[in-house]
Amino acid sequence: MNAFILGNPEKCIGCKACEIACSVAHLDISVVKANEMNIPFISRLNLVRTSAATMPVQCRQCEDAPCANVCSVGAIVHKDNCNIVLEEKCIGCKECMLACPFGMLEMQPKSAQGEMEFQAGLKVESINGEQQKAYVVMQKCDLCTGRAEGPACIEVCPANAFVIVNSEFIRRNLNQKRISSAQEIAKCRYIRNS
Amino acid sequence: MADKNQGNIKIDIELCTGCRRCAEVCPVDAIEGNDGSSQSINIDKCVMCGQCIQICSAYASVFEEYPTSREKKLLERNLPETLTEPLFAAYSIGDLPKVKEALANSAKFTMVQCAPAVRVSIAEEFGMPLGSLVPGKLAAALRQLGFNKIYDTNFAADLTIMEEGSELVQRITEGGTLPMFTSCCPAWVKFVEREYPELIPHLSSCKSPQQMAGTMFKTYGAEKDSIEPENIFSIAIMPCTCKKFEAERPEMNTSGYQDVDAVLTVRELAYLIKEVGIDFNSLLESSFDKPLSMYSGAGHLFCATGGVMEAAIRTAYEMITEEPISDVNIQYVRGGQGIRRGVVKAGDLKVKTVVVSGLKNVVPILEEIKQGDADFHFMEVMTCPVGCVSGGGQPKMLLPKDNDISFKNRISSTYRHYEDQIYRKSHENPEIKAIYQKFLGEPLGQKSHHLLHTEYTPRREGK
Repeated sequence: MNAFILGNPEKCIGCKACEIACSVAHLDISVVKANEMNIPFISRLNLVRTSAATMPVQCRQCEDAPCANVCSVGAIVHKDNCNIVLEEKCIGCKECMLACPFGMLEMQPKSAQGEMEFQAGLKVESINGEQQKAYVVMQKCDLCTGRAEGPACIEVCPANAFVIVNSEFIRRNLNQKRISSAQEIAKCRYIRNS
Repeated sequence: MADKNQGNIKIDIELCTGCRRCAEVCPVDAIEGNDGSSQSINIDKCVMCGQCIQICSAYASVFEEYPTSREKKLLERNLPETLTEPLFAAYSIGDLPKVKEALANSAKFTMVQCAPAVRVSIAEEFGMPLGSLVPGKLAAALRQLGFNKIYDTNFAADLTIMEEGSELVQRITEGGTLPMFTSCCPAWVKFVEREYPELIPHLSSCKSPQQMAGTMFKTYGAEKDSIEPENIFSIAIMPCTCKKFEAERPEMNTSGYQDVDAVLTVRELAYLIKEVGIDFNSLLESSFDKPLSMYSGAGHLFCATGGVMEAAIRTAYEMITEEPISDVNIQYVRGGQGIRRGVVKAGDLKVKTVVVSGLKNVVPILEEIKQGDADFHFMEVMTCPVGCVSGGGQPKMLLPKDNDISFKNRISSTYRHYEDQIYRKSHENPEIKAIYQKFLGEPLGQKSHHLLHTEYTPRREGK
């Protein structure tokens, strides 16, 4: 079963530190200070703030993933227990973006070495002449696979508002529920005496 | 500069998400608002330490729209319009426009000073390792920016020790108000003025090194270079956001003019260096200008918690005993956030000291003093976690875990730089001896008292 990261609206304080950490963790250079960040923060999770809930939302790593099912170039594959985008294959058709029931896939500009990347072929015609066009690809949560410290969002959160839902978590969670379910049933005289 | 009555620390209500992490680090509970709603700053309580700026992670996302454009926000913050870094909800109002104007005005003679903590952090803004020590590159960058005189706050730190050490000895031997408090941290001073006005007599009457330097620029410095003080524009490069407030205090004009005209934080200086297109990392090392720049290792220690105490003990010891101190390294005053108490034996006298780092930690000690239970002579207080190396105007880390590394590295660079100095004690600095001989007279003398000491303002009636 695929693992995924789940935010807890009871604990989240809405500080956006997870978005920053996510963004920085997915750069191909090390950025430590604010003034070294010369491109926008491009986060693979999003802090949602509404009157009903404040919490980060991110990819559920679906088993029968609609994003992968609709991808016409096979750019979304399952690897290391999660669904990842092969950015070099992605053509930016946006099918997956529309197919995702959680709104967690978004076309985002790609960067390299701390600079925005531009397309090799497609250019923008404008009154100022031909201009470069941003290189935009699908980017989604990859559970920070390969990162020694684990997922950056979980590591940075000051409110401890994330859980990683993996088979161990689910086993523990289900077992607890089953035990309490059994205890509830055991209290019921009608069933006991039948 | 920000409206004097409004403070220079702000929270952008369009960006603030109400996570209140800033309220957790605010030492004076000045940040007000409900969870999840935009916060506001109680300017009476705020000590402008800028720790809220350092913790804030509520950034302006390019994927969201805000009523005020980025261009307008940059303008409101006095930041260069070419700035590409993210904007956060908590910020301080900058002073770059004033400084650029002065640099461009040929009628102005610019004199700049750099706090000790600047040389152990500025290189970080150009991608060098955290805590890199770069006094030579810093001087070179300032020279290339076109400042007429590159002076040093470290020199004034030695001057502060001469005055403050003498004041301590005088209070101990002649029965003045004790314990005496250091007065170089402007946030701490403002805190005493508002929260403990009845303890104001405990504050050393010494101006901070920034303000002593500013006064010397427009008096001694003006004389040296035969320049009218009114034509001098005095700039301080500081790791601190509250130094802007200190420079604007109405009494800080003993030279006859505002002693320090503008204060730039380390971050602002880095913006300026970048905007002008200086390649900081490849700068050839330069040196600071004589005479207001020579410093002892003791003066340099001012940027770390315990440093003012250590420098003061070295000088006060020798003033009391008239003998050299056996070990200049006073280890017990060094350390991290919290309280460190100790005793120094100077002849027959046992001088009891307290070092406090992190303004919140001082409250129980002030209560102790109010109760009459305090038995010590001298207390150093620095508002920021581990002293000025961790100031609100220092480079902002994106992830809080990197703060610990930067603080540690900046402190170790500080002690390394201290050990590199020829002189280890402020009173042995030859330029300090010379300035007393040629200009100031004696410490606590009439002239030095007039120029280098100040008064404080109760900001509330005693509790």
